Amino acid sequence: MTNIVASIRRELHALWRSPWQLALVSYIPILSILCLWWLFSAGLPRQLPVAIVDHDNSQLSRMLSRKLEANPVISPQSFVDLPSAVTAMKQGEVYGLIVFPYNLKRDLVTGHSPTIDIRYNSQFLLVGKLLSSQIQLTLGAGLLEVAGVKLLLQDVPKPLVAVHLSPVKSQTTALFNRNNNYVGFLVPPVLVALWQLLAMLIFSNSLSRELTPTGSLIAGDGIWLRVWAKIAVFTPILLMHGGFILALLYQYLALPAAGSLALLMLAQTVMLFSVWLLVLLIFFIMRDSARMVSFGTAMFAPAFAFMGITFPVHEMPIAAQWWRLIMPSSHYIDSHVSIISYGSSWQTIVVQLSSYWGFLFIIPVLIILSRRVEVESMAQMPLEDESGVKG
Amino acid sequence: MNNQLMSFWQLVWTELRAIVADKAIAVTLFGGVLFYSVLYPLPYLHQVPTDQQIVVVDLDHSSLSRKLIRQADASPKISVIGQVGSISEAKVWIETGRAHGLLVIPYAFRRDLLLGKGVTLSYGGDASYFLIYSAVVEGLVTAGMDAGKQVQLLGLLAKGEAPEQANLSLNSVKINSVPTFNPSLGYTPYVVPGLFLLILHQTLLIGTGILGAGQWRNKGYWQQLSPLKLICSRISAFMLIYSVFASFYVGFCFYLYQVSIQASLGLVALFLLPFLLATSAAGIALSCLFVRRDLPTQVLLLASMPIMFVSGFVWPLTLIPEPLIWISQVIPAVPAIMGMLELNQMGASWTSIMPKWLQLWAMFAVFFVLAVYGVSRRLKANRQV
Repeated sequence: MTNIVASIRRELHALWRSPWQLALVSYIPILSILCLWWLFSAGLPRQLPVAIVDHDNSQLSRMLSRKLEANPVISPQSFVDLPSAVTAMKQGEVYGLIVFPYNLKRDLVTGHSPTIDIRYNSQFLLVGKLLSSQIQLTLGAGLLEVAGVKLLLQDVPKPLVAVHLSPVKSQTTALFNRNNNYVGFLVPPVLVALWQLLAMLIFSNSLSRELTPTGSLIAGDGIWLRVWAKIAVFTPILLMHGGFILALLYQYLALPAAGSLALLMLAQTVMLFSVWLLVLLIFFIMRDSARMVSFGTAMFAPAFAFMGITFPVHEMPIAAQWWRLIMPSSHYIDSHVSIISYGSSWQTIVVQLSSYWGFLFIIPVLIILSRRVEVESMAQMPLEDESGVKG
Repeated sequence: MNNQLMSFWQLVWTELRAIVADKAIAVTLFGGVLFYSVLYPLPYLHQVPTDQQIVVVDLDHSSLSRKLIRQADASPKISVIGQVGSISEAKVWIETGRAHGLLVIPYAFRRDLLLGKGVTLSYGGDASYFLIYSAVVEGLVTAGMDAGKQVQLLGLLAKGEAPEQANLSLNSVKINSVPTFNPSLGYTPYVVPGLFLLILHQTLLIGTGILGAGQWRNKGYWQQLSPLKLICSRISAFMLIYSVFASFYVGFCFYLYQVSIQASLGLVALFLLPFLLATSAAGIALSCLFVRRDLPTQVLLLASMPIMFVSGFVWPLTLIPEPLIWISQVIPAVPAIMGMLELNQMGASWTSIMPKWLQLWAMFAVFFVLAVYGVSRRLKANRQV
């Protein structure tokens, strides 16, 4: 018992003495978390510039322009001619382009169904899809009004006009994220990916401190005692960061959360332990600080893409779905969504946590690998003693 | 002394050998660039989400409601996987992940329509996943609109309008909405062009960073060189490697991942030149801040996500707070990604991306001066030790 306390104390000392580790546990996470949140803080895409080329200049085309202006997502920019609008589109200054053709109104009145052309920038997929649906909705609503006037002229009684125009109305509900807020959608997975990177870096830095330049263990306590001390020190620190993320999102920003945050902390703890296991595995195999970090980076950097938030998991190729299971963050994000969105109870979460079972197989491998390390360090120790005597 | 007589190309060759011999750099450069070219786009290979499972709550059980369900199922975006009796049952299906959306057909749907009363269809999609949500809603709205149109058409025909006339009055204005630059709305053409430039940028910074950090406190060929000579040869060495990597990414991978390409080879090369030069100079300047070989990777790893999102290809620049955009202008990847997207994916003319190209040259100049300053300080300190 005193052994582990001494080990923990040593660990804290080492943390205090290493400026980079100290930065990794203190201001770097806070700054990056706030920075990433600030980036997305607009939350709802608004006032996206759209070029309007009005060749008709009729009362109808101006009415439609005003309707577009009234849509909070669209900010119409008038262009006199098509080429200049196309140039603006190619330079990314506007994300969409609407052309009201010459004689729009005349063709409509005389029954020659005119065509309104819309082009939207799908290179920026997120903006493009949003604009496409918003522009169509707005123009559709505007044109319905015109059709309503026509119906009134045809002696359709006023109460029936609406039914005539659209007998089937639709009511669309965005479940679990009512206003399609991107902060609630994108920021949690981004921050979880960042948090996982931090955990990986902090733990592998701390482990590589135990290595001599040749890759064997520095003499001292048994390897497992040191590992336990590190876990005891860094698990609470990392959980504090995780808690900070949850507090920022669901307390301070008050994003809707259906389930309990305590359960989320449990899920975070399990995720942390699987990150520890993976980093230990890399440590025992590589035994070199720069290579450990390179390998950990290669593994964990793309974690965000594999979470399945932006692109659904069941649409990924099988290889991607397998690779996804290696990332602790993808297991965590499933629990995160089910707690935050669906308000799942602890029974569901426990079942979900069992998806981590694959990580348990790392433990015996670690024990076997750690024996190899210990033997080398034993061989190393007498040498160091000798040099100590000489010195 | 012999070393000082070393010709420039011999020096570049020495640099190249130092890069390849260093396992950490070789793994990051050769392993990282190849590995990421496969791994990053891997989840997105199927491009477009199709056949999202939805569950139907049919409270009407009429011929029309069944027809509507069949039409919804026929949409490529959704597939109806079952019917339940109540909304709360549907909720359970969604929460357990069996379905991602629901369609509620109200009681007396058909009767009300025939009586000429309006009816409301309700759609819901799991907005925890936006791509699924938009697919579900697009599919359902289209199916619902078609059903409505058909009812209207029947009504008009019943009133004695000619079929052609009826069609015309239903579609009085055609709305022709077409996606541009990424006609298939695919996910790899959206992510890959920006992401791959970022990978080139980050690995180049890490490579130069580790190489420098490992040298400043040790002895070797670099001690006998003037800072200017060392920097020029190092930039040349990395440029040689990265011209191959950049050709592989922008040439082969863009083709492989079906990215739309608009610019000519010459223009793309001309644009990439100052990007790679500025990035290598920035990498050498940054490497002067490190003496531990494991630090550059860590710092740049933490910086990659913010750089990716601030460069504006995922989240639109108009929504990013201005101060962040100003700060980000010192990172070579930021103007390079936007400029490259405009030039190569969106077909902008060279004159319109000229400011970004000049910005990259200016960055090269500034980082080169910084690199000379930093390297000469490091080398001086090294000689004193």
